[in-house]
Amino acid sequence: MRILRSVRHKSCADGSRMKEFLLSEPVTEDFFLFLRDFGRVERLANVGAGFYKFEKTDFFSIKGLAGDTTVEVRFRREVMDITVDFLYALFHFYRDGKPDIDTLKRREAGVERRVKECLYGK
Amino acid sequence: MPEENPSEMIYLNNAATSWPKPPGVRAALGDSLARPVFGSGRTAGSQGDDFVTQAREALTRFFNAGPEENWICTHNATDSLNMLIHGFLAGGVEGGPCHVITTALDHNSVLRPLYEQEKQGRISLTVVPFENAIVSPPDAVLNAIRLDTRLMVMSHGSNVLGSVQDIQAIGEILHEHGVYFIVDGAQTAGHIPVDLGKLPVDAYVFTGHKGLFGVPGTGGDFTSATPDRVTPMRFGGTGTDSFSLFQPQEMPEKFEVGTPNYPGLAALAAGIAFVGSAGTNAIAAKAERQTAYIIQELAKESNMIIYNMTPPHLPIVAFNIAGMENDDVGGFILARAYGVISRIGLHCAPPWCIRHSTGGERLCTAQSLLVYHR
Repeated sequence: MRILRSVRHKSCADGSRMKEFLLSEPVTEDFFLFLRDFGRVERLANVGAGFYKFEKTDFFSIKGLAGDTTVEVRFRREVMDITVDFLYALFHFYRDGKPDIDTLKRREAGVERRVKECLYGK
Repeated sequence: MPEENPSEMIYLNNAATSWPKPPGVRAALGDSLARPVFGSGRTAGSQGDDFVTQAREALTRFFNAGPEENWICTHNATDSLNMLIHGFLAGGVEGGPCHVITTALDHNSVLRPLYEQEKQGRISLTVVPFENAIVSPPDAVLNAIRLDTRLMVMSHGSNVLGSVQDIQAIGEILHEHGVYFIVDGAQTAGHIPVDLGKLPVDAYVFTGHKGLFGVPGTGGDFTSATPDRVTPMRFGGTGTDSFSLFQPQEMPEKFEVGTPNYPGLAALAAGIAFVGSAGTNAIAAKAERQTAYIIQELAKESNMIIYNMTPPHLPIVAFNIAGMENDDVGGFILARAYGVISRIGLHCAPPWCIRHSTGGERLCTAQSLLVYHR
């Protein structure tokens, strides 16, 4: 599964930047559960095929319904140019349910260092 | 009635833009493009319909207010509000900065032009609060009036709560004190009866794409007996008096410049005809009944927060689900899982929404119905 392109964007009242991304295939419940390795995942199972929210502090949040071909992503605006590549990597390295966790964890650590430097100066 | 929605979508965002449009509106829009446009003063001969005049005639009849030439066609309500607010303050005020009143229920189309004027030092601004989360009472307006108050601008109906302001009483108070009164009728035009022949209003603003069933990009305003108090803020071609290098001072050329939106105005005239045939009283009664029913049913759910429990005059239901973000409720779950299209977020009405932001819910979801809903 990969991100094809962004189809909608807006600036949000809380200062975040929202982008809706079109995916190469429908997003699955398994994908959202895989995201638990990288942040907090909330689930409302009785809404449609399942409504999911993923929150990665200081990076971004992802909202989606299982079975949809788009997801909404809210970026922390100040570090969006640093974190957006990691978003693409999450989808790319998921590899249809056989995720490359080691590569993603290495990237996550690298991006996290830069995010903290940018936001907190450390 | 329009054909059934093929996608099973339930469209409840009519306070933003009405949909579906009546067949007559779609036909008028198509027909207007089937022939060359006829613009009075811009096209030789008389081979076509003059859509601008037709729209002006329809507005004059519908709102019971003339003369026809005092109806000015613009891009939308925001466009007209900018034209009137900046135009009034540019030319209609003597003695330097003056005092202006608006309300906390107003839309950014009113608030932003006024805050810009305040930032530039041209006015001091009073924002009248509201009571019971609904109405800015006339007494509060009276208390806000000062010796240097020259202008009040307010929405007739709230796009978030569906409440309708008592512009009869407020207008009478303002006129007793010599205050110019601009009313934003974006939410009321077509939804409830508005008789401008009787209301004490100096300028009334409307938009075409909501309750009048026209298309986006149309709107305008009516200035009563005092258009001379507003200075034009745009200058250009009118198709008349072209030898003069200065803007004509006659209505409507004083305020209408450039090529009009001919197809949009054809659709607007057709939309007004539709509302006229359906009857504004009948539309209002049905909408009030349906809105009251939805509020009554939603209120049975213990986790439902409803912000306009008293059924409003306009068909709007403002609500949240306790503990959930309104973006999740309206923007995601309702829209994507159930195909219900509503409005979420600040609704371009930040004072109200900020006052009612309570932790997890943040802002609100609003559903707005239309005469078509059964």
